[in-house]
Amino acid sequence: MARRLKDWLEVRIGLDDLIRTQLTEYRVPNTINLLSTLGFVVLAGYIIQVVSGIFLLIYYVPHPEHAFRSVQSIMSSVPYGWLFRQIHVVGSNLLIAALILHMLTVFLMGNYKRPREMTWISGAVLLLLALVFGLSGYLLPWSQLSYWATTVATSFPTAFPFFGDFVTKVLRGGENVSGITLGRFFALHIAILPPIFLSLMVFHIFLVRRIGISATPFGVEDEEKRPLAQYIKKTYPDGNPFYPYFFQKEMLMVMVYCTVMFFIITFMPTLFLPEAANTPADPFKTPAHIGPEWYFLAQYQMLRLIPNKFLGISLQIILVGLFLSWPFLDTYKEKNLRKRPVLRGIFLLLLAIWVVLMFWGR
Amino acid sequence: MKRRKFLKAVLAIFGLTSLVSFAYPLLRFLAPPSGEARIKKLVIEKVEVPIGGSKNIVFNDMPAIVINTPERGLIAFSRVCTHLGCLIEYEKDKHQLLCPCHAGTYDLEGNVVSGPPPKPLPRLPLKVEGENIVIG
Repeated sequence: MARRLKDWLEVRIGLDDLIRTQLTEYRVPNTINLLSTLGFVVLAGYIIQVVSGIFLLIYYVPHPEHAFRSVQSIMSSVPYGWLFRQIHVVGSNLLIAALILHMLTVFLMGNYKRPREMTWISGAVLLLLALVFGLSGYLLPWSQLSYWATTVATSFPTAFPFFGDFVTKVLRGGENVSGITLGRFFALHIAILPPIFLSLMVFHIFLVRRIGISATPFGVEDEEKRPLAQYIKKTYPDGNPFYPYFFQKEMLMVMVYCTVMFFIITFMPTLFLPEAANTPADPFKTPAHIGPEWYFLAQYQMLRLIPNKFLGISLQIILVGLFLSWPFLDTYKEKNLRKRPVLRGIFLLLLAIWVVLMFWGR
Repeated sequence: MKRRKFLKAVLAIFGLTSLVSFAYPLLRFLAPPSGEARIKKLVIEKVEVPIGGSKNIVFNDMPAIVINTPERGLIAFSRVCTHLGCLIEYEKDKHQLLCPCHAGTYDLEGNVVSGPPPKPLPRLPLKVEGENIVIG
């Protein structure tokens, strides 16, 4: 049966040729390591989010009077509803963690350098979109945590004169976070963001394949040092075949990702669902202890420390701008971080500040 | 003008027109719908706010608070923190208003004492009519 299906496809789309050129004869550098599999892990994580999200949609009701109860019902009444919600909640956090790790490893290996500027930017925008995904999904359970985190987040534009208040009103659909906001965030989360995220991910993968995967800079001559006068696809004729060699590594890391996810679901089920996440939203009572998800904690703490709201939010926007345009700012050709003490120092300092702010923000 | 150039120009005009005629309705569609008619006044009884006490109210969809201080008498504020929109709470013992999100504090005049709020709390007009407190 499988043979017949394969033959059926072969005469129609040239399956053998497709497998040969895209998998078995597509070669990756010999020096490639497990860290290079993180992009694939993100792809797998995104697929898990889409599938679990579709399952949740079957029972979720996007209305302020029903949203909280429908989520509680998913957790307690729907058979295995708790499992799919936990996969979605824990998965969203792990996806962002995998994205951050992916960006960090790309940074450490200098793989953002020319000709891969667009690959970096598309990856950075994917990270930002994932954060927007997290924020928009946060409101949907209509809990105290989600309501007030959204109130704070949608207040950010008010720091800017002239248009700030209008932007906040557009985001909320009114003066306050309400049922209209829930409808907007629901549409954003399930209908607007997914196709954008998917398209950008396809573009990112296209760039990786079109430009050629980047080798680790340690002990290998960098192709980035040559003059960039014309398009040359980076290939590795002596490298290992993508399939099965690298694909197996990627799948191994996906298994590690799933193991971490199920470990958290089993042994730390409340890690991402604190008490305020199980209390229905009360628009007239801000909880005493409220904080965003871990990936927004550093920014949250920064806003606490900088007394001027405009300055605090402007600084964050500038940092995002620097992050996006980094390949154009660091034009030094050396990729190896061991030979770049200044960059190494800046990186460690920024990482330390981020970690300190994150823990302080708790 | 050659036919190809003409077609390009027509395409550009039609494309731009379509874009603009779509952009305006989209902006209007996303802009907040106009609110319902707002109440002008809210009346509560004086006994609901004893001296030293407070009462949380909702005035024109906005969470607000009426405080009866021994020194200044009755006073009403919006409870929406001017920093990032969390709701402030009255701390009776400390004679101040605290925002739980970023620890901004206000005095009982609504002025910022500490923390990141950029401006004072909006004060609501209030007057006492007999046994009633009229806000607005």
